[in-house]
Amino acid sequence: MITTPAPSHAAAARQWFLARADLDALIAGLRDSGRRVIGPTIREDAIVYDEIQSAADLPAGWHDEQSAGRYRLERRTDEQVFGYTVGPTSWKRFTFPPNLPIASAHRTGSFGFEQPTPDAPPVAFVGVRACEIAALEIQDRVFLGGQFTDEDFRARRASAFIVAVQCTTSSGTCFCTSMGTGPEVHGGYDILMTEIDGGFVVHAGSPEGAAIVAKLPTRRPSHAEAGAAVDRVESVRTQMGEPLPMAGIDERLKLQLDHPRWAVVADRCVECGNCTMACPTCFCTSVVEKSDMEGKRSTTDRQWDSCFDVAFAKVAGGDFRSRPRDRYRQWLTHKFSTWFDQFGSSGCVGCGRCITWCPVAIDVREELGVIAPPIAPVIRPVAVEPVAASPGSYSIARVAAVRPETEDTSTLTLTDVDPAFLAGRPGQFVMIALPAFPAVPISISRFRANGIDLTIRAVGPTSTALTNLHPGAKVGLRGPLGTFWPVEEAYGRHAVVVAGGVGLSPLHGLVDALVANHDRFESVSLFYGSRTPEDQLFRDDLDTWSASKAIDVAITVDRAGPEWKGRVGVVTGLFDMISWDCTKVTAFVVGPERMMQASVQGLISKGVPADRICVSMERHMECGIGLCGHCQMAGRFVCKDGPVFRLNELGDLFNREGI
Amino acid sequence: MATSGRTARPRVAVAKFASCDGCQLTLLDLEDELLEIVSRFDIVEFPEATSRRSPGPYDIVFVEGSVSAPEHIDQIKELRKQARILITIGACATAGGIQALRNWADHDAYRAAVYAHPEWIESLAKATPIAEHVKVDGELRGCPIDPGQLTELLTAVLVGRRPQIRDEAVCRECKRKGIVCLVVARGEACMGPVTTSGCNALCPSYDRGCYGCFGPRANANAKSWSTGLLRSGRPPEEVRRLFAGFTGYAEPFRSVITELGETKG
Repeated sequence: MITTPAPSHAAAARQWFLARADLDALIAGLRDSGRRVIGPTIREDAIVYDEIQSAADLPAGWHDEQSAGRYRLERRTDEQVFGYTVGPTSWKRFTFPPNLPIASAHRTGSFGFEQPTPDAPPVAFVGVRACEIAALEIQDRVFLGGQFTDEDFRARRASAFIVAVQCTTSSGTCFCTSMGTGPEVHGGYDILMTEIDGGFVVHAGSPEGAAIVAKLPTRRPSHAEAGAAVDRVESVRTQMGEPLPMAGIDERLKLQLDHPRWAVVADRCVECGNCTMACPTCFCTSVVEKSDMEGKRSTTDRQWDSCFDVAFAKVAGGDFRSRPRDRYRQWLTHKFSTWFDQFGSSGCVGCGRCITWCPVAIDVREELGVIAPPIAPVIRPVAVEPVAASPGSYSIARVAAVRPETEDTSTLTLTDVDPAFLAGRPGQFVMIALPAFPAVPISISRFRANGIDLTIRAVGPTSTALTNLHPGAKVGLRGPLGTFWPVEEAYGRHAVVVAGGVGLSPLHGLVDALVANHDRFESVSLFYGSRTPEDQLFRDDLDTWSASKAIDVAITVDRAGPEWKGRVGVVTGLFDMISWDCTKVTAFVVGPERMMQASVQGLISKGVPADRICVSMERHMECGIGLCGHCQMAGRFVCKDGPVFRLNELGDLFNREGI
Repeated sequence: MATSGRTARPRVAVAKFASCDGCQLTLLDLEDELLEIVSRFDIVEFPEATSRRSPGPYDIVFVEGSVSAPEHIDQIKELRKQARILITIGACATAGGIQALRNWADHDAYRAAVYAHPEWIESLAKATPIAEHVKVDGELRGCPIDPGQLTELLTAVLVGRRPQIRDEAVCRECKRKGIVCLVVARGEACMGPVTTSGCNALCPSYDRGCYGCFGPRANANAKSWSTGLLRSGRPPEEVRRLFAGFTGYAEPFRSVITELGETKG
């Protein structure tokens, strides 16, 4: 439950003292209220969060010694129940489970996709620390604060009753004071407890919390007890020492993308991904598709994944972050820098789990100190209307026609589509799925009166299966997704479309719109390059456009046989034909990344303003709605902030390797 | 769909070279799926299960074991000619297996120490993975292989998609399962950070460090991990032995072993 902080002067008046011997009354009270209780307990030589039955399961008298790559349990000299810091588990395990079924599909007789209804029975989290509340609130912003929301997370979060505990000790890897998240708990709880000698000073932060506290055998705390509670927490601040200088860390890191230390730390990093798994805010996932042997029934599970995975940023043509240093830089800069751009705060709460649980003892505090000598999180709210979304919710469309374009590429015309797709805009894409095949992102290449076209290159199992479909087959669709070409901004200007190879597909709908409204533009032209004449897409449409007065078409190929009468050479060679005032050009560019870089360079050298050049970026996508983390390009999610970007929005990211 | 147009069941053969047969048995151990598997695949050659013999060509050949004896070289080349798809199964076939420990040793001395009549034994000085001799279309790792991965591979062949076999650290399976890290919390030795997943963190689930039987993952930083193990105070011989288990002959484990010294016979 998300609660607001109570005013501190009023808080003192509503404090109670619960004797340690009576702690079980709290656990019993929570269980009696119909909640499963999750709390700290000792298992496998660590204090983990797991279901507890009574106060006897809690780690009374134990403490955790932590340093980089090392965690040991030690006996305390007293019987404090919460006299440890944070262990290997984080609460995200219960609000954002490591494995979650998100969809199932079938084609036995009927064809369909189903998604499970979020199932989140009431639960109580006991022993939640200040940094952990900050982490839950960060995941609130990730999953519930943006354009698309995760309804499973919403249900689990709403059903969780939070019993927060003030830290009365710190470990060697704690740095909450540096991140501005602790040690004091300031809100976000139903009950707050501070452990002192003999018991707890207890305070309710919500009506539900007050109802539980009211049934406990409590008394008013003495002045000394209330004072001891404040002092205990204050002493933790002192124990942790000077906070790290974190002011402006987000901007500082952005200036250090080429620092030599990235390669040094990557040499040590074993890329096990334990930091991302242990991190209470990391949210990246992948889907695993399981099917019966006929491929007629399948289930899709979402699993915790990590940006350290070798396949994490891979697409059919290659890997955007192919070097370990690219992947380490992605993790650290995301946590401490680009997270601010995406979610308005740091992605780090200073819990230290990534340091303790790193098997090669990499300490992010040390790395930050070397790379960008080290802000309290500033919440910059992003005002968007959220859309409840689920990566498992598909609508069904029917294949009306399949047209081969090239040897490996075909265009599917889909009808009976949800009306939302007809209202889509050129440049947007869909996630398309078949039972037993993982969903893939495909640009909408054409909008028709009663359907859409998707042009698909058979590069993987799903795209191959899609191009092998026959008319009448059904597919699952989500979308339309992503940003679109800003056609209106080119009114009164020279609209220039530059396409390379299959890059013409996301531009086809745009060309249709430009041709249909050609009198609104100073001129409309298409420059299209492909490897060979056989690699050209939409050959009939190219002929129609070439014959039309509404658009000038120039075509080139890298190489061709003697039967080819057209131009040979790279697409940028066609720019010599441009005779207009290039400051009045709006350009739309799609193709392989190197072709786009060369084209953009060519256009800029001719005087086209950077904010008038739009590109469509390609990245690995699994959810399409900014929740799985795969498509991140520094602070951008290519799926929801893109795929269409203005060049000036991307800055130097556009030409940078390993982002 | 890729499944349409399938007229006959794929002809499957299971073959073995130097190995213990444990991986083949995984197929027989798929008790719940076995009936469906034999109804969809025509298993024509499977010495572990049937004495019926059937010559190639085959649609799929599963190969267990490493190339360890002189006759194996011609046999695997012939088998490759008969196979449309050749899949290696297990640590022996994919990495050389435990018998590849001799690759760092004096072969003749080993032979003389083990056998009463070493002159009767014909074996190669090195045990090598199948992929060193012929093109391999796919592999299932492990000692033995994981039944879930085998089912997924068979399903993927039938459905016509790429099998979803991930290449990530065993650590990731531990973390998803909620297993406390044995390295960090106890200081135990574990090959999980450099070993590819697929076993669902079997050994750590039973309170033991990973033995690395699934072999190195694509981006295994074996150098850093061996350095880390040495830095934690382990003698080089112990670290070498950790890497030289079931898959030591696979790079980059092989380089770590070579760097840490020769096997002591």
